[in-house]
Amino acid sequence: MHAIEAVDLVKNFGDTQALRGTSFTVNENEIYGLIGPNGAGKTTTLRVLSTLISASKGRAEVFGLDVARQPEKVREILSYLPEEAGLYQHLTGLEFLEFMAGFYADDRERRSSFVEEGRLISGLGERLRDRSNEYSKGMKRRLLLARALMMKPRLAILDEPTSGLDVIQSVHVRNMIKDYADRQGVTVLLSSHNMLEVEYLCDRVGLMDLGVVVAEGTPDELRDRYGAKNLEEVFMEVTNHE
Amino acid sequence: MPIIIFPVMGGAIRISQESVQRAVVGASFAVYTDDEGFVTEALLEYLYNNNTVVPIEAASLEDALRQFQDTDSNALIYIPRGYNDNLTQSMNGELMVYANLRKLNMAETQSTNVVSSLINIYNYYFSLSKIRRLLEQTGAAGTPEAIRSPISVRYASILKGTVLDIPPTSIINLVMSQSIMLPIMVMMMVMFAIQMAATSIALEKEQKTLETLMTLPVSRLTVLAGKLSGSIVIAIAGSVSYLIGFGYYMNSAFAFVPEATTMSIDEVSVGITPFGMLLVGMVIFVTLVSALAMALSIAVFADNVRSAQSFTGILITPIMIPAIILMFSDIDMLPQAVQWVLLVIPYTHSIIATKAAFLGDYFVVIRSIAFISVWTFAVLYVAAKIFSTERIITARFSLGDVRKRMRLGR
Repeated sequence: MHAIEAVDLVKNFGDTQALRGTSFTVNENEIYGLIGPNGAGKTTTLRVLSTLISASKGRAEVFGLDVARQPEKVREILSYLPEEAGLYQHLTGLEFLEFMAGFYADDRERRSSFVEEGRLISGLGERLRDRSNEYSKGMKRRLLLARALMMKPRLAILDEPTSGLDVIQSVHVRNMIKDYADRQGVTVLLSSHNMLEVEYLCDRVGLMDLGVVVAEGTPDELRDRYGAKNLEEVFMEVTNHE
Repeated sequence: MPIIIFPVMGGAIRISQESVQRAVVGASFAVYTDDEGFVTEALLEYLYNNNTVVPIEAASLEDALRQFQDTDSNALIYIPRGYNDNLTQSMNGELMVYANLRKLNMAETQSTNVVSSLINIYNYYFSLSKIRRLLEQTGAAGTPEAIRSPISVRYASILKGTVLDIPPTSIINLVMSQSIMLPIMVMMMVMFAIQMAATSIALEKEQKTLETLMTLPVSRLTVLAGKLSGSIVIAIAGSVSYLIGFGYYMNSAFAFVPEATTMSIDEVSVGITPFGMLLVGMVIFVTLVSALAMALSIAVFADNVRSAQSFTGILITPIMIPAIILMFSDIDMLPQAVQWVLLVIPYTHSIIATKAAFLGDYFVVIRSIAFISVWTFAVLYVAAKIFSTERIITARFSLGDVRKRMRLGR
């Protein structure tokens, strides 16, 4: 069974067609990166898979569950980090993790273990006792990522996880994702327009352009297939951009 | 906040009323006379007795007015030449009252009113004594009071089939002072709850937490129920504090109104029974749920808190209009067309129901509850539809969009 199976996804927003038949599969325990320029349809794809919006046509399954027909069951096994996610500003980092853990665990022991995991993932230490409106952008992103991963979801969907972060914070976040996925065996689907980042992080990659996945494979396979030095060159070759 | 605001308002009004009363009681007035004679002397004696009077000695009225303006008095009674002669010849005696409006406040007009009252009382007894003398001279039958005011009217009221020897205005004043609280309370509570519910959903959008919230393992209807119940709990807590604060405000601000202290609501058998109170509770509850569901449905279309509050501002208008109209009149008293317009607005029924509960007309209350409940279910259905679809994420609407569409249409 695939972790994700997306088949001919089409999404229309009025006259605009954001997805024009997106198809790809993600295997269990792998980190899969959707890459492409702005407007390629990456975020729309992630939103369909995380049950936020529904596809106009096509089918998508997460661990065999249909995202359109069984959205509540899908939400039990996935965790989604939106690109522009925010925090409840009146809560401290710790309170935010406790609040979010409450949605995934009824008993106090499990909740505490999730919060402890979140505390470790975030690496924010004592700063977790501060209100989140006092955090830097990098700290906020680390806390949000900790929230997304702390309950060990079967699938973590991360939209542009390092967007807007400086180099140091980006490296930290990348390492957090890679370490956690390796350690916990979590399947990760992430999107990025930073192709070098995806090359470093992902086991397999899907190149998206104009609402379709135009090429798919491991970074090595793609480079070899198109005789390119890196994924940027692969992308330019596949999409015929000059 | 309301538990502080209303008592402070009530306290402020009470302080200002008391200071006006103190100013009136201690008000001094000036007297200047150009006339003499025993009738004038009698008036002066009456005025000087039990009042703080500032006598003005001057060569002319102009001088007297100048001197008057240098005193602390707010009113000057001027007795012109001929007052004594006119009255002794059974002609009209004229007095002139000058009010010095230095600060244009209520106390200044009150002291003029005190002077007017003093003169009216004097006028009344003076006329009675003149009539009595005429009756003695002519030997005619009758009393001076009956000749001065031949017709007197006594008022009684029929309330719920019982004839009460109480003027209708007294009952209405009493009932109004109590029943006015309910529409105000309902209106304020609903507006408070609407703003809060709209803000709660708009804040999720503004702080970018809505997408995360919508991917958590809870049903969308649970999120809607959570938002509704949270807002209801705070709205009820808010309205209880409004009630306490407003009650104190009414008591302190209108403590000087004699009707409210001399007659209790029980004496005229008007008031809310426990059953009526229960029905009012139901009215408030269904009203709140529908208003909150509507606020949440509308706020979904806003990007931020400011837009949400602009949108809900539109919603507040149909709540305020019936509340204000029905605060002072009854639905049956309005023109037919206005009645129909008001009756279409569900929140009109909330106010009709609270008033009817007060008068023990439970059929009207239950009918209103039924109407609001149907409306509430309709609104909840729409809210549930919006929350269970992607509209909660994708819906966007701004006043700018309307302007753009209008420009394109043109």
